[in-house]
Amino acid sequence: MTWSDEDLVARSRGGDVESFNQLILRWERPIYALAYRVIGREEDARDVCQETFLRAFRALPGFKGQAKFSSWLYRIALNLCRDWVRRQRRAPVVEAPEGVDPLDLVAERQRTESIEDLVSRRELSAAVAEAMALLPEEQRTAIILKEYHGMTFQEIAELQGCPLSTVKTRLYQGLTVLRRHLERQGMAPVARKA
Amino acid sequence: MSTTYQCGNHDALVSYLYGECEPDARAMLMAHLAVCAACAAELAALESARIQLTSWSPPETDLGFVIARPSASPDRWRRWAWFVQPLPAWAQLAAAAAIFAAGISLGIARGTMRDAPPPAATAASAAAPVSASAPADDVIAESLDALEQRLRDEIAQLRPSVPSPAASGDAQLLARVRALIDESEQRQQRELALRTAQIVRDFDSQRRVDLEQIQRNFGQIEGLTGAEVREQRQMLNYLMRVSQQP
Repeated sequence: MTWSDEDLVARSRGGDVESFNQLILRWERPIYALAYRVIGREEDARDVCQETFLRAFRALPGFKGQAKFSSWLYRIALNLCRDWVRRQRRAPVVEAPEGVDPLDLVAERQRTESIEDLVSRRELSAAVAEAMALLPEEQRTAIILKEYHGMTFQEIAELQGCPLSTVKTRLYQGLTVLRRHLERQGMAPVARKA
Repeated sequence: MSTTYQCGNHDALVSYLYGECEPDARAMLMAHLAVCAACAAELAALESARIQLTSWSPPETDLGFVIARPSASPDRWRRWAWFVQPLPAWAQLAAAAAIFAAGISLGIARGTMRDAPPPAATAASAAAPVSASAPADDVIAESLDALEQRLRDEIAQLRPSVPSPAASGDAQLLARVRALIDESEQRQQRELALRTAQIVRDFDSQRRVDLEQIQRNFGQIEGLTGAEVREQRQMLNYLMRVSQQP
């Protein structure tokens, strides 16, 4: 039987640690992905992810279910990411994509994908990461929450604590800067396949 | 509410882009896009950026965070937590100095007490059994008295030769502690310099190795792609030869 987040939260609040571990298992990937894209460093993203769940566990008695558990978790993670960026006092550092060893590229090549396609995909990934790092934190976070976590404008507005129209403006400006940067890097625009 | 879409309404464009607009607003924007090439191009560019964003994924990593079950009575141990924590260096130094000073004081006090006459009660209690005891006990008591007297004399002879007033002892201790601290600092600085130099050397050598490996890998890639091109060319030549045969 699959328990809902609310059920697991209730059981965790009753002292069942295993239920909270199930919540961790369910949400650690999205939270790690969020932290990695905001921070841009693998190790630090892991630390932020771990700290997020630790804080959530400690604060669980105070969580009354006013918001969804996932929204609450995202809020904790975003606050930690923001603290990290402030602490570093610099723009997030984006690592080169993992496994750029050309031999690995050859090994992981799929039948339908040529080496050139794979290399260009890796280059695009690196260029996107670089362009995202250039954006102001609010725009970057709005794009990440929308594109990679499928949140609605309303959910992003609540998480970022700003009006709905501000979220849309951040998305528009962020996407526009991103597009221009990618064009400057020689990344040709891509059309959606029909 | 306006019935037509105005160029430059970014909010509406973003709502349409993410499919989060009302049906009538959507219809209005679609009608506008059909006649406005600029807005259609902008929308296409934003869609393109969204597609390009999908290529960015975080690296695979092992997470597996787990909250360990708390122990049965954490509060009991929390009270003792300070006890098991290691003391800072300055506290250890202070404790060592205090123990040393206490030892010196105790030694001086014991020497002073030996010189003092025994308390009256003790003398009385010691005298009573002697007067009523057997001759053997008298001999033992006399031996002990003689031994005590001899020890007192020896201590009295030794005492003037021990130059250890409390003030000069503290000053010597302080000087020795300072010397130890200075020596420790110098040793740490030397070690730090040594390790820094070692790290720099390791970093340089690793960088050289990495650069060589990158060059080697690029060479292999070029070889691979070259080999594929050669194969394709041979295949093409073969096909052309076959197709030209009657």
